[in-house]
Amino acid sequence: MAATAAATRAIFSNTCHYHHHGSKHPRIPSTFLGTVSHPKSTFYGYTTGFTAAQKSRHGHQFLLPRASAEDDNSGGDNEAETVQVQQQPPVSLSLDDVNPVGLGRRSRQLFDEVWRKFSGLGQISRTTRADDRDALDALLIREGPMCEFAVPGAQNTTVLVVGATSRIGRIVVRKLMLRGYTVKALVRKADEEVVNMLPRSVEVVTGDVGDPLTVKAAVEGCNKIIYCATARSTITGDLFRVDHRGVYNLTKAFQDYNNQLAQLRAGKSSKSKLLLAKFKSADALSGWEVRQGTYFQDVVAAKYDGGMDAKFEYTETGEAVFSGYVFTRGGYVELSKKLALPLGRTLDRYEGLVLSVGGNGRSYILILEAGPSADTTQSKLYFARFSTKAGFCRVRVPFSSFRPVKPDDPPLDPFLVHTLTIRFEPRRQRPIEGPMGMKQDPRSFKLIFEYIKATPTGQETDFILVSCTGLGIEPTRREQVLKAKRAGEDSLRRSGLGYTIIRPGPLKEEPGGQRALIFDQGNRISQGISCADVADICVKALHDSTARNKSFDVCYEYVAEQGRELYELVAHLPDKANNYLTPALSALEKNT
Amino acid sequence: MALRLPITQLSAPGKFNHHCTKTSYNIHSALSWRRTLSPDSLISSSVSSLISPSSTTGKSYGVTCTSAQTTSAGAVNLGPGTPVRPTSILVVGATGTLGRQVVRRALDEGYDVRCLVRPRPAPADFLRDWGATVVNADLSKPETIPATLVGIHTVIDCATGRPEEPIKKVDWEGKVALIQCAKAMGIQKYVFFSIHNCDKHPEVPLMEIKYCTEKFLQDSGLTHITIRLCGFMQGLIGQYAVPILEEKSVWGTDAPTRIAYMDTQDIARLTFIALRNEQINGKLLTFSGPRAWTTQEVITLCERLAGSDANVTTVPVSVLRLTRQLTRFFEWTNDVADRLAFSEVLTSDIVFSVPMSETYKLLGVDAKDIVTLEKYLQDYFTNILKKLKDLKAQSKQTDIYF
Repeated sequence: MAATAAATRAIFSNTCHYHHHGSKHPRIPSTFLGTVSHPKSTFYGYTTGFTAAQKSRHGHQFLLPRASAEDDNSGGDNEAETVQVQQQPPVSLSLDDVNPVGLGRRSRQLFDEVWRKFSGLGQISRTTRADDRDALDALLIREGPMCEFAVPGAQNTTVLVVGATSRIGRIVVRKLMLRGYTVKALVRKADEEVVNMLPRSVEVVTGDVGDPLTVKAAVEGCNKIIYCATARSTITGDLFRVDHRGVYNLTKAFQDYNNQLAQLRAGKSSKSKLLLAKFKSADALSGWEVRQGTYFQDVVAAKYDGGMDAKFEYTETGEAVFSGYVFTRGGYVELSKKLALPLGRTLDRYEGLVLSVGGNGRSYILILEAGPSADTTQSKLYFARFSTKAGFCRVRVPFSSFRPVKPDDPPLDPFLVHTLTIRFEPRRQRPIEGPMGMKQDPRSFKLIFEYIKATPTGQETDFILVSCTGLGIEPTRREQVLKAKRAGEDSLRRSGLGYTIIRPGPLKEEPGGQRALIFDQGNRISQGISCADVADICVKALHDSTARNKSFDVCYEYVAEQGRELYELVAHLPDKANNYLTPALSALEKNT
Repeated sequence: MALRLPITQLSAPGKFNHHCTKTSYNIHSALSWRRTLSPDSLISSSVSSLISPSSTTGKSYGVTCTSAQTTSAGAVNLGPGTPVRPTSILVVGATGTLGRQVVRRALDEGYDVRCLVRPRPAPADFLRDWGATVVNADLSKPETIPATLVGIHTVIDCATGRPEEPIKKVDWEGKVALIQCAKAMGIQKYVFFSIHNCDKHPEVPLMEIKYCTEKFLQDSGLTHITIRLCGFMQGLIGQYAVPILEEKSVWGTDAPTRIAYMDTQDIARLTFIALRNEQINGKLLTFSGPRAWTTQEVITLCERLAGSDANVTTVPVSVLRLTRQLTRFFEWTNDVADRLAFSEVLTSDIVFSVPMSETYKLLGVDAKDIVTLEKYLQDYFTNILKKLKDLKAQSKQTDIYF
C-alpha cells in the first residue's frame, strides 16, 4: 500500500512544493494551481503508479537536457515550451491529455520534479520532504520491519495496561506504542492530567481494579494484560483491594472473557476446552471406579474405626453424586477413571482442568497418574488440592499446580496423563457451618459432578504481573505488603492463565538498558532496578514462550569485589536486537 | 529584531567574545563567514545586545556571535527547588529524520521526552502517539523558548532549518537563543548535532553556522556534547531507492565525494550511550557509518538490490557550481544558492568518514551492531518488494470482484 501511495503522492505533491517556488517565478500564472485539481481528479484516480512514472519518464527525455544545463531562471522557458506542446497536441493522446489545464499542471510537475532533484544534489543532508515522509514513515518507522522496535504480531495484539500512570506503567505504555501494539489503559480517574500523561491514541478506560464490574469492561477486546498497579498506601485495606483482589478480579474477568470468546466460536477456537467427562446421563458413570484406602495402618485404634463408605451414583434428579463418609483415621475414598481422549487430542495442548461441581464445600485432592499407558507400573502420581464451596462452582486446577507425590519425580508432563482420580480425605477440611448453624461433620462429603474439562494452553503469557521482592519497603509494613502481593500472585497462578510474575528490586527512576540484570528465583537479590528495565522485561515477555508461567526476581547485577561474586552474569546489557530475556529465563524454573 | 530573552539576565561581563560575521554576499560575490576570536568585552553586556542592533539593521547580513560566559555559578543554580529528574529531556527538532529516532530511543529507554515543535496546522501527532509530550515553540521567536525548558535536565538539539527557509533564522539565531536560554535556566547537559568537516568548509553557510554554533556552545560554559554526523541512510531512500522502484529518473553527481552513511537509529542509540557517560562531557564526537560511499556506488547498490536498472541522470558538479554562481547574483535566489552551496564541497575530493574504533571503544559499543548500508538497503528492498507483491495480489483480487 505504502509504495503506491508513495508513487502517486509524489506526483501530486509537487504542486505543494511548487507553491513555494512559484513565488519566485513571477512568470508562471499562479491561477493555474487553483483550477487544476478538479477536472483531473478522476483521471488520477485511475492512474496507477506505473502510468504516472511512464509519463514522467517521457517528460524527462523532453525536459532533461535543458533543465540540467540551466538554473531555475529557465523555469519560465520550460513553461513556455510546454505551452507550445499543448497547442499542438500529439494525436495519440487521449482527451484527458489534451486538456490544457492538465497539461499545464503536468508540465509544472515535471519541471518541479526536475528542479527538486537538481537542487537536492546540492544539499549536504537531504531531508525527506514532508509529503514523502508519510509514506516512508509507514514502512520505515511506524509498522515497518525496518524499525528496530517493530515486533511481529504487535499489530494484532491489544494489551491492557493496569496502572498505566504508575512509574513502570507509564514506560510500559510508551514502549508498547512504539512497537505498534494497541493499548488500553485502565486508570482510576481520567482527568486531564492523567490523559495528557498517556500517548494520545491509547484507549483510556476508567475503572477500579477493586470493582469487578469496571474491570469487566476493561478486559473487553484485550489479548494480554500487564498489571503494574500497586496500592498507594500500605494500609491493609488498600493492599487487599489492589494487590490481592485487584489481581483476582482481573484474572477472573479476563478468563471469563476468553471463555466467552471460545463459546462464540462454538468450540472451534484454540481457546475452547476439551471435554473429558460429562455427567448428563447414567451411562456417564461407567468407567468410574470407587476405591478406598488408608495412608497408614492404625493397628491399635482399629477397634474404634468407624469405617468408611462411598458411592458414585446417578440420582433421580439427574445428578451424578459422589458421596460418603470416612471415619477411619488416615482413611480416604477416591473416584477414579482411565481417561479416554478423543482421537488426535493429547493433554499437552491443554494447561489445566476445570471441574464444574457442586456439593457441601469440602476440599478434595485431584490425582493424576502419568506414565506410558502400556505399562502402568511405571506411572508416577501427581496431586493438587482444590476446594469447593457449598453449592455449585467451577474449579480450575492448572497442571502447573500438580506436585509429584514422590518429591524426586520430574514435574508433571500432561502428555502422559492416563488416569484421573478425585480423592476425599477428612484431613485438612475446613469446618463449615451447616444451614441450621450446627457444625457439619467434616468427615462426610457430597460431590455432585457436572463436567470435567481441560482448558487449552497457549504458548505465550497472557498476564504479566509486576509484584515486588519486599526490599525497600519500610520494615514495619513489609509483612503486610508481601502478604497481599503473594496472595495476588497466587490468585494469578491459580487462574489458569499463562502468567509471568516479575518481582523487581527497589525501583529507580533512571533510564534503562545501562546495566546488566540478574534474573533469579528464591529471594536472593539485593540490588535495585530501573523502572525502564522492568518495563522492558514486561514488553519482551509478552511474546516470549520461556516467560510463560514463571515467577522471577530481577535486579541490577551486584558489582562485587573481585573474588566475592555470588552470581554468574546472566544477562548482558540489552542491546540492539539482543534478546536477553529468553536465555535468562530459560534457566529458570517453570510453574513458580 | 532585537533578540531579547524574558529571563534572568546573563549579565556577567563576557570574558570571551566570538564573532561570526557574515558579510553580505549580495555585494561581495564571495560567500564568506569570517570567524574572529577576539577577547573583546565591549559587546556583551546583556542579552539584548547579544546580536548588536547595527548588525541586524539594514540589508547587511551581519551576525555577531557572542557568548557571555558567566563566571559566577549564580546564573546556573537557580536556588533550591525541586531538582529536575535526570530522565527529563527536551528534543529540539523532534519531527526531523534524526529527531524522531532520538525521541523513540529516549522513550524506549525510559526517558520522559518533551518535544519542541513549531506550531503548525497539522501537529506532529506521531510524537504524542509514542508518548512524548509536545510543546509549541519556535526557535526564531526566542520569547517562546524559556517556558519549554522548565523542568528539563538535558536538551538534545537535532534541529536544522527546513530547506525552504533562510538558513540563518533557525540555525543561527534560533540556536544562539536556545543555548543562551539553556545556560540561563541551568540546563545540565546540551547535546548538539553538527556536521562532519564543518570547520573545513566556511564557504557553505550551513556548515559555517554549525561550526560557529559548536564554538558558541563551547564558550557558553554549558556541559555539552557535540556530535558531528556524516550522512543519514534514511535520506537515501527518498533520493535513490524510491525513484528506482518507481522507475523514475535518479539524479546523481559525478562527484568523487564519499560519505559514510549511518542509520539514524544507530546514531540515536550511540547518542544516548554518550549522553550517560560523564567522561564524554565537553567532548566532540564524530559518528560515521562503517564505509564511505560515492553517489555512483549507492545507485549501483540500489540497482542491484531492486533488480532493475535505474534511469540515472548524472549531473556534473561543475553544472551545480555554475548554477550556484548564477543564483547568487539575484537576491530572491539567495536561498537557492545557499542550498546548492554543498556543491562546493562536492567538488573537493573529500571523504566524509572517520575511523570509528576509538569512538566504539569509548562508548563500549560493538562495531558489528552498527548497520551497514548494504544491510539497510537490502532490508528496505526486500520489504518493499514483498509489499509490492502483496499489493499486486490484492489488486488482482479486486479485479475479480469488479
